[in-house]
Amino acid sequence: MTFIKILSKNEKREIERKLNKQFGVKEIPGMLIKFGNDRIFFFSGKLKENEIRIIESEVPIERIGVYFARIMNDFPKLSIEATQILKEQISKNIFELNQQQSKEWMSGRDLNIQTEQKGFLVMKYKDEVLGCGKASENKISNFIPKMRRLKNKEI
Amino acid sequence: MKTQSKIELKPLFVERMKELLGKEFESYLEILEVPPVRSFRCNTLKISPENLKKRLENNGWKISQPWKEHEEVMVVESQLKPGELGNSLEHLLGYYYIQELASMLPVLVLKPEKNQLVLDLCASPGSKTTQMSSFMENTGTIIANEISLGRIRILATNLERCGVSNVIITKKEGSAFCKRLERQNVQFDKILLDAPCSGEGTIRSSQKTPVMWNINTVKILSNMQKNLVSSAISILKKGGELVYSTCTHSPEENEEIVDYVLKNFPNIKIQKILLPIQSKLGIQKWQDKEYLEDVKFSCRVYPHVANTEGFYIAKFKKIK
Repeated sequence: MTFIKILSKNEKREIERKLNKQFGVKEIPGMLIKFGNDRIFFFSGKLKENEIRIIESEVPIERIGVYFARIMNDFPKLSIEATQILKEQISKNIFELNQQQSKEWMSGRDLNIQTEQKGFLVMKYKDEVLGCGKASENKISNFIPKMRRLKNKEI
Repeated sequence: MKTQSKIELKPLFVERMKELLGKEFESYLEILEVPPVRSFRCNTLKISPENLKKRLENNGWKISQPWKEHEEVMVVESQLKPGELGNSLEHLLGYYYIQELASMLPVLVLKPEKNQLVLDLCASPGSKTTQMSSFMENTGTIIANEISLGRIRILATNLERCGVSNVIITKKEGSAFCKRLERQNVQFDKILLDAPCSGEGTIRSSQKTPVMWNINTVKILSNMQKNLVSSAISILKKGGELVYSTCTHSPEENEEIVDYVLKNFPNIKIQKILLPIQSKLGIQKWQDKEYLEDVKFSCRVYPHVANTEGFYIAKFKKIK
């Protein structure tokens, strides 16, 4: 069974602080739960920690909420769903894709381009947020999971 | 009308369906050879039906909305390439969930509400869990239970794609799950028991079903379903509602379960239900068994009547 840890207010605040610095996010609107060493889930349900613990004491819990981020080099690398949840709050380090780039991005390819931005970026095409990438000198690395990639490369 | 390859049915299955349908049996056989309608449900957690419809129509798809009061339910009327429905950007982003029309009915009947505590006892692959979460606008809590780890992976993938964040996934055999939570006095406002069944209603879309079908499995499943529904009732709140559904036609897995509930649980009453499609009343007699009159308030959905898969739905309320 996977180790589950419901993050304390301070631990959640620390993640919010990092997301604020990188993306301008002010508040994560729900509970954060750590599964295993590095995966963070977001729970918007009404059960409180003690109620979840009661359920956990009787039946194995496999997952709580939606996959939100993976801690990578001490930074929460946001999932597609996390960028959608936080969409209205994300105000900086956004990379605006053109149509061709958005096709490549959703096909799972790295973008071989130079950008002045460094570190994690939220990828955006028109009004759509398409997860997170990581900018280095000559490319933006793609983190779209295999199961979410376009197979016909169309958007 | 386009037809699909001929489906081989076992003689005993044919005999039983003839007994169940009488003169309608020929129409039933005819519809089995017509490919199923390509339906899907807009995931209102991520996009409005209006915007989704616009986007898909811009992709060149012809979309209809067959149920006026449920705009989220859509059907693709145009020809698509193989795999196109599951490989569009909108699907990958979780804007819709591919779901058979009849499979959407149990949640429409249960009507989970915001902030409720809801149980989906046999949850995978998650079509009804995601639908309930949309009803609840990601508030309250749904506990989605499933016994098999492989099926939990499918469930988790679907919940993730749809951005469902109010669900706790648990892994336990259904009856044991209920017994464990009962001893902690956990009680649910609403329970969906979409029970494991022989799947006779899915013959139109699954060629495996008629091959795997046998009467012994029907009998084994019937006992398991009685066990599951009894256990689920024990953790339903007073005033709470439970929907029992299957995608099968066999009365042993349907009316017999409802009859069993009504005879053994005096605090449980069956509720009348209204469906957005044509259906038939629950039957009152099957072979040597006679069921209570109230069993007729359950609904039978037949492929040749509704142009969907076959389904069975009953709604119960625990009285105060």
